[in-house]
Amino acid sequence: MDTEILEIQGLSKSYGHLKALDSLSLKVERGNIFGFLGPNGSGKTTTLGILLDIILKDSGTYKWFGEAPSSQIRKKIGALLEQPLFYPYLSAVQNLKIIADIRGVPYSEIENVLKLVELEGRKKGKFKTYSLGMKQRLAIAAAMLGNPEVLILDEPTNGLDPRGIADIRDLIIRIASTGITIILASHLLDEVEKVCSHVVVLDHGGKLFSGSVDEVLSGTASFELAADDMELLEKTLSFEPWVTKMAKEGQILKVHLTNDRSASQLNKFLSQKGVYLTHLTVRNKTLEKYFLELLSENHDPTN
Amino acid sequence: MKNIFSNSYLKTMIRLIKIDFRKYFYSRSFWILTSLYLLLIVLVFAGSQGFMNKITENAGKNSPISIPSFSLYSFPYVWHNLAFLAGFFKIFPALIVVIFVTNEFSYKTIRQNVMSGMSRNEFLLSKVLFVFIFSLISTVVLFFSALILGWTHTNPITASLVYDKMVFVPAYFLELFTFSMLAMMIAFLVKKQGLSIGMLALYYYVIEPLVAYKLPDEISQYLPVKAMGHLIDIPNSSLMKLFGVNFRDYVSAQDVLLCLFYSFVFIGVVYFFLKHSDI
Repeated sequence: MDTEILEIQGLSKSYGHLKALDSLSLKVERGNIFGFLGPNGSGKTTTLGILLDIILKDSGTYKWFGEAPSSQIRKKIGALLEQPLFYPYLSAVQNLKIIADIRGVPYSEIENVLKLVELEGRKKGKFKTYSLGMKQRLAIAAAMLGNPEVLILDEPTNGLDPRGIADIRDLIIRIASTGITIILASHLLDEVEKVCSHVVVLDHGGKLFSGSVDEVLSGTASFELAADDMELLEKTLSFEPWVTKMAKEGQILKVHLTNDRSASQLNKFLSQKGVYLTHLTVRNKTLEKYFLELLSENHDPTN
Repeated sequence: MKNIFSNSYLKTMIRLIKIDFRKYFYSRSFWILTSLYLLLIVLVFAGSQGFMNKITENAGKNSPISIPSFSLYSFPYVWHNLAFLAGFFKIFPALIVVIFVTNEFSYKTIRQNVMSGMSRNEFLLSKVLFVFIFSLISTVVLFFSALILGWTHTNPITASLVYDKMVFVPAYFLELFTFSMLAMMIAFLVKKQGLSIGMLALYYYVIEPLVAYKLPDEISQYLPVKAMGHLIDIPNSSLMKLFGVNFRDYVSAQDVLLCLFYSFVFIGVVYFFLKHSDI
């Protein structure tokens, strides 16, 4: 199938007694920017390692581009897993030449990928002299050699300062706009929210959620309200069926509404009922909130 | 059915050699170690005659019988003599193999190579090819050194004298290759530079000699290090003949087969290990 870039079925892996992956199944379609979320130890890196033949699976199957995995296929996949890995005594160009040879890519491409990550100026310096940000960028350059169809990034912003994080985010968006499918494993939920089209949430080797980011974020929005007459406000809202949740926090009333209500609709409704708001804030669902909720549900013994 | 020498196999091998070579070409330590090694063996080749002359001179002064001076470099004995001497320095190539294989684990570049599209088998093959070529180059140095020294120290020179006992040259290649394969296997299994060197030395100087000591000769002759060392036995000299000591002046087929067998085994162990572990 041309649209299915990756298909994983029942993938499992244990390290001794520790079950790192428990029968994981998921699909990634072409053009997705797919986020892998999960706390440390949830199985993100293990999954990616298996997909790249670094880690051996215990059971289950996976297919890249609908085909059985092989080293040939990996030449069309670019990856940065945990840390940038290069020969410290070689320069960027020399390191990239090795990778170009492995992938069967002409050396002319090296200039292009270095330009893409803005490392042309330091290309002759030895890798060991690079800052962490430069090392990460070189790793992405290496991953991009040979025009891969998929780019796998595991914590690409690890250890970077805010400027570095923003640079990587821009780079990812630029790369995504060329149609390359991206699999992004990250802790930085707000980054994932900004960049990804789909997410899968892992915990203890299992899949908690898989779907589009829109699905996650559109969901009930919450509003913070205050009025001169708080009692009237509460009373008015409690009769309405489209108010799903109401909670008082100090001087503020937090309400959750069903999907279709907007802030202006709420405002209009209340003023028609004679309730005049002094405070109205819209709080959109964030990935972070959803993620933390999901995880706490998973750990809740009463669940 | 593709022939082993067919174009595509050759192309793959050349490609792998090219990739691996890039890793050494710009490494200062590689060139230092290699040059040191080659320089050392050539110096030893050239200087050994002078050294032997000194010894027989001194011995001659103190002994009642006249001790004949002998030439190390005359055909056909030069092949055996130099191959024997060179065998003492096989630790250098082994060291180079250990350093560069363990580097791939410390830098985790084996991971990078495999992620980028190299199969684990190709990775192993590239290392075996590297050792093959390195051993080949050492053997070529041996060959030309012996040829030149033999040419200048043999009178009269006949073709049969030159070709006789040339078998020690490929025997040296086998000794080097097998020992380097042992080093490579240890490097892949242990993955850390210092520890690997330690294990290699431990096995070579302690474990096998101990095992050989404990076992009866008929069995211990099959041990790897013994087989390698036995390939090229101590060369005879007229001095030893004087005392009735006679070492083998030929290469035994058993040792050749054992070395080939062990090389195979060492490579096989790494193949198995790579197939069944995370890298």
